[in-house]
Amino acid sequence: MTELTCDELDALLPELFDGRLSPEVESASLRHLATCDQCRIVVGDLERVGEMYREHGRLTLPDDARARIRAILEQG
Amino acid sequence: MTTAPQPSIVALFERLADGVYTLAARMTRDRHAAEDIVQETFLRALTRLHTWRGEGSIDAWVYRIAYHQSIAVLRRRRDEPTDPATIRDLVTDPEGSAERRVLTMELAARLDAAIGALAPTLRAAFVLRDVEGLSTRDVASALELSESAVKMRLKRARLALRRELEDYL
Ligand SMILES: [Zn+2]
Repeated sequence: MTELTCDELDALLPELFDGRLSPEVESASLRHLATCDQCRIVVGDLERVGEMYREHGRLTLPDDARARIRAILEQG
Repeated sequence: MTTAPQPSIVALFERLADGVYTLAARMTRDRHAAEDIVQETFLRALTRLHTWRGEGSIDAWVYRIAYHQSIAVLRRRRDEPTDPATIRDLVTDPEGSAERRVLTMELAARLDAAIGALAPTLRAAFVLRDVEGLSTRDVASALELSESAVKMRLKRARLALRRELEDYL
């Protein structure tokens, strides 16, 4: 199969990750990723998304709710 | 057959309260509903702790209760007209310099909006795996899915989030 463009690869990413591409299209995708810095950055972004949420996405149970619920549980 | 020692409910609460709250708040996008879910989750865990057989992780077992509660809230809400006042801002005041706070608040608001736009099933997998750092196996157990289904949802969630957060990457 002919080589993929960056836009074509981008459109194929969900299927690539799900393992739903035909073997030919999958190997063309991997070939593209191996040679294209720009698309490797895109895939790296996905790791970064996870990191951003690990860093900023956690929430803390407010203190008043924490105290109230702990008291209920301690009465158990 | 050995019986796993039963952890105390208060110890379990201390360890998992923030994680359960994060899951519930991210799922419902409503702080008060999330606080109710935390309370209900640990009360249910307390009454059912004797039924936990020590198979799999107890964290996943607690998250499963919280996930079911969150889905129930979303389902009830679908049957009611949406009151915009129930969609409350989840952003909390970050610490640090004023400048850093503005940046962090802005980013936090974007993160909130982006995650809120995900389908609830993707959101749950993403929060448990990427935010709370559970193993894929525990996420699968909490959401009653196969591990490969969890991995699939995670990737889909990250792809969708990347689109929303492009300027920050
Ligand atoms: Zn490319």
